[in-house]
Amino acid sequence: MANNKMLVGFFVASESIFFVMLILAYVNFHGTVTDGPTAVNSLNPVRTGIFSLFLLASSFSMWLAGRSLVTKNHFMMKIWILVTIILGVTFIYGQASEWFGLIDQNITISRNVFGTTFFTLTGFHGFHVCVGLLMLSILLALAMFGDFKGPKSDGVECISIYWHFVDGVWIVVYSVIYLWAFL
Amino acid sequence: MEKLGGLFNPSSPEMEAMADLTYYIIAISIGILAIIVVAVTYIIIRYRKSSNDSSEPYQNFGDTRLEIVWTVIPIAIVAVLFQLTCSTMKAVDPPIGDHEPDIVVIGHQWWWEFYYPKSGVLTANELHMPVDKKLLLRIESIDVIHDFWVPELGRKIDAIPGHTNHIWIGAGEPGIFLGACAEFCGTQHANMRIRVIAETEEEFNEWQQQQLVVPRTPRSGIAGKGAELFRTKACMNCHTIAGTPAAARIGPNLTHLNKRQTIGAGVLTNSPENLTKWLVNPQKYKQGALMPNMKLTDSEVNAIVAYLEALK
Amino acid sequence: MSSKIPLVPENITPLPALKENEGMLSWVSSVDHKQIGIMYLISTLVFFLIGGLEALVIRMQLAKPEFDFISPEVYNQMFTMHGTTMIFFVVMPFLIGLGVYLVPLMIGARDMAFPRLNALSFWLVVFGGILLYYSFLTQSGPSEVGWFAYSPLSEKPFSLNKGPTYWALGLLATGISSVASGLNNIVTILTMRTKGMTMRRLPLFVWMILVTSFLLIFVIPIIASAFAMMLLDRLLEATFFTPAHGGSAILWQHFFWGFGHPEVYILVLPAFGIISEVIPVFSRKPIYGYEFVAGSTVAIGLLSLGVWAHHMFAVGLGNVANLYFSLASMLIAIPTGIKVLNWVATMWGGKIWFATPMLFATAFIIEFVIGGLTGVAIASVPIDWVTTDTYFIVAHFHYVLFGGSLFAIFAGVYYWFPKFTGRMMSETLGKWHFWLTIVGFNMTFFIQHFLGVMGMPRRTYTYHDFPYWGSMNLLSTIGAFVLAISVIIFAWNIRRSLKHGEKAPDNPWNAWTLEWYTTSPPAVHNFDLVPPVRGRRPLWDLAHPDQPDEPNAKVVV
Repeated sequence: MANNKMLVGFFVASESIFFVMLILAYVNFHGTVTDGPTAVNSLNPVRTGIFSLFLLASSFSMWLAGRSLVTKNHFMMKIWILVTIILGVTFIYGQASEWFGLIDQNITISRNVFGTTFFTLTGFHGFHVCVGLLMLSILLALAMFGDFKGPKSDGVECISIYWHFVDGVWIVVYSVIYLWAFL
Repeated sequence: MEKLGGLFNPSSPEMEAMADLTYYIIAISIGILAIIVVAVTYIIIRYRKSSNDSSEPYQNFGDTRLEIVWTVIPIAIVAVLFQLTCSTMKAVDPPIGDHEPDIVVIGHQWWWEFYYPKSGVLTANELHMPVDKKLLLRIESIDVIHDFWVPELGRKIDAIPGHTNHIWIGAGEPGIFLGACAEFCGTQHANMRIRVIAETEEEFNEWQQQQLVVPRTPRSGIAGKGAELFRTKACMNCHTIAGTPAAARIGPNLTHLNKRQTIGAGVLTNSPENLTKWLVNPQKYKQGALMPNMKLTDSEVNAIVAYLEALK
Repeated sequence: MSSKIPLVPENITPLPALKENEGMLSWVSSVDHKQIGIMYLISTLVFFLIGGLEALVIRMQLAKPEFDFISPEVYNQMFTMHGTTMIFFVVMPFLIGLGVYLVPLMIGARDMAFPRLNALSFWLVVFGGILLYYSFLTQSGPSEVGWFAYSPLSEKPFSLNKGPTYWALGLLATGISSVASGLNNIVTILTMRTKGMTMRRLPLFVWMILVTSFLLIFVIPIIASAFAMMLLDRLLEATFFTPAHGGSAILWQHFFWGFGHPEVYILVLPAFGIISEVIPVFSRKPIYGYEFVAGSTVAIGLLSLGVWAHHMFAVGLGNVANLYFSLASMLIAIPTGIKVLNWVATMWGGKIWFATPMLFATAFIIEFVIGGLTGVAIASVPIDWVTTDTYFIVAHFHYVLFGGSLFAIFAGVYYWFPKFTGRMMSETLGKWHFWLTIVGFNMTFFIQHFLGVMGMPRRTYTYHDFPYWGSMNLLSTIGAFVLAISVIIFAWNIRRSLKHGEKAPDNPWNAWTLEWYTTSPPAVHNFDLVPPVRGRRPLWDLAHPDQPDEPNAKVVV
């Protein structure tokens, strides 16, 4: 049987480098904007922080889904996957409304290097979250058709690894964009 | 045998230092290559299988001591190379300190602008300098990345928009030294040539004085007509001519064009015939250049050429 | 267990049989690693011919000073597409494709860990190539900003045509393909080796593919992020690399070379693997210093991540940075040199058969050493200040990529063609190919060292009539046409041998790694039985039970 978890593990390592490069670009330009929108004068770390808690909670619920798989509690596993999806969607809603708020103030990807690096970094992260939500939805649908009775499932475990990765990336991104600016 | 240029004709102590380093390293490289070539040649002759021999030779898996020896020796060679590198770099690229630049070089697509801050001279493509003096150049670009390179006089360095660089150049004897842009910068990267004229201190000062002369604008005759066309035909939107309202720096300063040896950043030798050809259609000689075909009539071209030749 | 172990094929790893398929649909829908491998190799041959034509156009334009064979725009498109094609659509997919075919066989497996991912990787290369070459059909034509696409030249307003956009998209597709291949290789090699094949008994080609795969998965994301940023700049007016809007032109170079330098090791390590398989077999000896060849590969992989700015010595990063990158770049020559010495030591004392694979492998050593030595020279910052962006660099990288990687590729083709197709290639045509290549290659590129040092910059569509520049360039152009003839002979040899080549036995070269145990070509399921692996050369152990490679090897049950 192919080693799916090893594949996802190395894939996550590879994608991490992709995010490191986007973060390096952000860091490179941080502080170079002298007039115009910057992190400090455009962002709301508290609001975004609250929506971040939803994403962190979704990692916790996904972990609980994994525990239910191990104990063969099929019903609770489906519930926890559903909770994960709802929490993830909430996070995306928070991101989208933040984006629209900024765009309304003419803070766009083309405005200056802050806009460019901010939207690129959060955009690619949001894209990875959406891909994860898609996979979780497929997982939930297949589970509802009776799949993943447990105690082991490469599908559930691998998607779980990916989801935790996406969460971990957000912790770094949030720290670099929101915390660093205000410290 | 004609004279080879580039590294075979270093004209400053810095270039000589770089040439020497190159020769040392080439010598070491040839030595190493010789060892490998001799070994492989010996192997080909001595260890070739004869057709009727199907036995297997001694199966030698390796020797750790030999591996250590031939790891340590290359490390030693690298140490020597690196030390030579450090000392040559110090000689070629000493710190700038608070030395003000002697010439500001600005790269454009596809020509070079030279500004002498100490005297105020602004010229293009042809750089005059006094011999036997180390000059500090500040290198900039207003559009894409270019690279200032006169192989016989100094190292090369990129001209990067948004970033300032400095290099030292020097000429050991008077003469003409040719260079080129050395970073791909678009369609006419090949024709962004640099012409350095190294001369005595007196000749250099004379040149500077002459470059600062504001010529009288001709008012009559064919040259006068040319001056008028220069204003009305949009030339002044890109070019500077001292003493007139034309002060744009999108294209080269043409005030003393008639003293330069080439036009089009080295594409054509400077002469009234070639200037005429250029004005009829610059795209024919430098396709893609930012100077469009101005669609001038022949008499308009002649007038403008007469004007430019008349500026003293 | 005792040291005298009977070495006979044992029923250790029975493998299930597979249904065989015929016809075009079986190829297009195949997930079998051998079919996918062959498709990789055929498509790289096609791109090689296209890239070669682009090179001939370049050399034609440069045959005379101030020549107007083609316009400057077309010339710039040609050198952009030539470099991009040769790197991303010839050398990389050839080496990856060769690995796809050979790695499962060499480790005694039936396929790769993820056969469908394998197929996706291949078709993404095709798709990327089509995207890239589609730009020829657009009004503004293909990209003309070089394979390195430095900003801000590659950005608006300096590059308004669509060429670079197609270029970046095509390369993103192949980049994803390469990451997928890298992941697939890593999992396959780490988890699917047959019993007894420990990591220390891995064939060196497999070791090289493993290290290359790690490099791929960690450095392709670097260039992918750079392409993403470049596309955002070009399509959505982002400001990453546009100094006029606060962006940084130099940032692109750091990202590009952060990928670009490890990339050249990706292009050469599997080639080293081919050489490490061919030289021992044709010298009739084991590889000298296996641990050092394998270990130095890991060292090269790691070091390659830290030397990127030796491509940027003329950028003005400051002499502290310049000195660090200079030293690191010189150091990376050491593990490479160790390999060369081990290959020469392998040949020493052997009984060498100079069949065509061995001709190319031997020539590889000399040509690669020349390229490697000029590489050490330009690692020295002042020498780089003289030679960077000149034909000296063009000569250097063609010596390592053509005289190195491509010669190894030729050796690999002649070596494994019998295994893949069941037919031998013509030795006579092979020798003609070889000698014409030696003459043509050195004629084309050796003189370019001198042109560079004399002051000829690279990426220039023409040059002034300086002393000897015209005759030197003409010599180089003639060499390129000699190479063209050699390639025609090579292609003809392939075509002719496919139809009329002598039938190949299982092990025509009397080699020792597992792929030679099965039929030529292998059955769909690769092996009926996998022989026991108690050393690095399982077939040597089978043929010489009184003289096994590891006399103290224990039986692995």
